[in-house]
Amino acid sequence: MSTAELTGDLRSRVRPDRVHGSLYTDPDVYARELERIWYSTWVYVGHTSEVPQPNDYVRKHIGPQQVVLTRDRTGAIHVLHNRCSHRGNLVCDADRGNSSSFRCPYHGWTFANTGELLGFPFNQGYGGAQAKERLSGLGAAPRVESYRGFVFASLAAEGPTLREHLGAAAERIDQLCRLSPEGEVELTAGWVRHEVTANWKMLVENETDGYHPQFVHSSIFSISGSGIGALYSDKSTAVTRALGGGHSENDLSPEFRRLGVPMGWSGTPESKIPDYAAAMRATYGAETGDEIMINGSPHVMIFPNLFIAEIQLFVIQPVAVDRTVQHVTAIQFAGAPDLNRRLVTQCVGSVGPAGMLLADDAEMYERNQRGVAQRQPEWLDLSRGLARERTDEHGFTVGTATDETSMRAMWAHYLTLMDPA
Amino acid sequence: MDDVGVVASEFATVRVSLDTQGNSPRLRLEDLRSGAVRFLDALELESIVWAPEGFLRELLDPSRHRWRDDGSEGCGP
Ligand code: FES
Ligand SMILES: [Fe+2]
Repeated sequence: MSTAELTGDLRSRVRPDRVHGSLYTDPDVYARELERIWYSTWVYVGHTSEVPQPNDYVRKHIGPQQVVLTRDRTGAIHVLHNRCSHRGNLVCDADRGNSSSFRCPYHGWTFANTGELLGFPFNQGYGGAQAKERLSGLGAAPRVESYRGFVFASLAAEGPTLREHLGAAAERIDQLCRLSPEGEVELTAGWVRHEVTANWKMLVENETDGYHPQFVHSSIFSISGSGIGALYSDKSTAVTRALGGGHSENDLSPEFRRLGVPMGWSGTPESKIPDYAAAMRATYGAETGDEIMINGSPHVMIFPNLFIAEIQLFVIQPVAVDRTVQHVTAIQFAGAPDLNRRLVTQCVGSVGPAGMLLADDAEMYERNQRGVAQRQPEWLDLSRGLARERTDEHGFTVGTATDETSMRAMWAHYLTLMDPA
Repeated sequence: MDDVGVVASEFATVRVSLDTQGNSPRLRLEDLRSGAVRFLDALELESIVWAPEGFLRELLDPSRHRWRDDGSEGCGP
């Protein structure tokens, strides 16, 4: 389908109360999403704690694009395309390493970790070393910015700033960082990769869908004795909130405040992590420290690919119209070794290779992808809670814990990117 | 000879050891991918420590070391 045809057509496929199934299966739509979303807006790439030392690097991705996140010798962060400027070979293969320069394995062209071309073998064939001036180095993301250690890149040279893109979602990152006695998150627990045969938007929509946990996750809630499942109900004071910019959250904190138990949100009683609780009160003062520990960690989907789910962090990577990789790690808080150990154990149970939470969701993603390929009834319903949506005291649209407020807001934002009026 | 260890990345693998066969100790560097060996004495090491940043950057150009074709003398240690 031509660009012009797709343009008029997209708005007819996204309605306030439903979306057309082809949006999850149409290769033309996917191709445009890569251009208009993944290669234009701010996309989360990695965290500065993954490259703590000068010359550290990690391999990352922006959708199907392979990139290398580097810290140069001066400490500056770069996001480089993993593609040799000679004949296009992948330059870096290891997931992580420490090197001031990268040498392509094909013909030995060598690049600084800033992307600059340092040289190549047998340079007489190019007329000598000065050929470096006319040959190019590694491609780099034109815009790289970080917020509290979270590094985002945009492959568009111009557009909104990162802070404009994050909007209110930045406060959720603040909320997360406040749970560290040192105010910092560290993503050092290692990564698990889960690949599903589903379109990436299935995942984005599911992350703040409060309607499914009581069904899909009932087994892990019952086995772990977690009270979280019950909070995803219309009787709960928890809300689903559209934060603008396609970002959304399930805000369970009203329930946690009602219960008033420090760390009640985490499933770990304070008695098991006395050092952490003491450090929090020492840093923030007894009252504020308690408030932070009662209020809990955010459950926020930062469009299009960063999902912070209380104790774990997911990065969503589309690799084809019907294939998506989820990279997941246990969140670690600086200055909280006792809490961190428990968080890793909890994440092994929820999202590890044999974890029960992500496996539940993955099954639903794949079934959903197969389902939407069927011909009838064509549309997916998005109307849950539309009639009872309200605006909260900060001007955000909110619904009950099980309403589809977040999906409707995601799609509205999607249209502004895919088919600007 | 005291083995210090192997310094490795996906790009190169070098065994580092302290050689004491000479009249003063030397650092022994062995490129494990080719078997080539170079010794560095104390003054050479000190010079590297104090070398300007551009010095190592220039040396990282493959045409400056193993893969030369400018007719200059010698190759390797
Ligand atoms: S493709 Fe990288 S050096 Fe030739
Ligand atoms: Fe060959």
